[in-house]
Amino acid sequence: MGRIKRLRPDQVGDEVRSLFETFLKERGNIPNMFRTAAHRPEILGSMLAHFRSVMGPGTVPVALKEMLAVRVSRINTCDY
Amino acid sequence: MAKQFGVGDDALAGLRDPARHPFPPDQKAALLFADAMTDGPGHVPDPVYDELRRHFSEPQIVEIACVIGLFNYFNRFNNALHVEITLMDPDVLVRRVEEAAAQTARLPELIDRVAGLLKEGRRYDRVEISRRQGGGKAAAGAFVVPVRAAGKVLGYIRVESDRGITTDDEERSLLERVAAVLAGRMI
Repeated sequence: MGRIKRLRPDQVGDEVRSLFETFLKERGNIPNMFRTAAHRPEILGSMLAHFRSVMGPGTVPVALKEMLAVRVSRINTCDY
Repeated sequence: MAKQFGVGDDALAGLRDPARHPFPPDQKAALLFADAMTDGPGHVPDPVYDELRRHFSEPQIVEIACVIGLFNYFNRFNNALHVEITLMDPDVLVRRVEEAAAQTARLPELIDRVAGLLKEGRRYDRVEISRRQGGGKAAAGAFVVPVRAAGKVLGYIRVESDRGITTDDEERSLLERVAAVLAGRMI
């Protein structure tokens, strides 16, 4: 069980809720990590923005970036 | 997520040991760079960097290093705070169960479908849905929710996970909502 409570959409302010809703639409869930980070809305906002700019289309194929994410998570024994 | 972006099963299996898998040279260079950057404090040896540089421009290398750094950050955050892997959203799962109930005429078939949805969506290792009473004591790693209608117990849902199980309010509420859909069919 998580050490820190993951927040539900009804436990966060409007700004975070709209970030949650976008995620729900994009991928069908809200990652627990972001629900945890939601305790600090400013950090969550910049975390999501950084996640998108790093993992979204850029100069390297998205598929390769996903492979790197899986490999790193495997080394760190973190389910991804 | 990786599969959604076109990473095949073969490549995913190869990620267990990239040095031994026949990845194209550019991908292999990036993966070995990821290994070197992730093991220990991230001092990447020159030959590993030089091989990466043969295949990628400087802006591309910045992007690759950011991906690796970002996931090291996320992984460490999740590991340290015991953040659990993200499962299917409860509302989405209940909607799928309701759709299954609407489409499936025979109860045993519906039970199979609901058990499958719970296994896939919430990563339970075993799901037992029964029309009998009981369900046994909820031992460690198991969770039992009765299926009730009009104050009568009609059966139970028992879920088990080898990784241990989250028995928080959100999980209980999800299973109770699934039980309510099943109750309408067991009555």
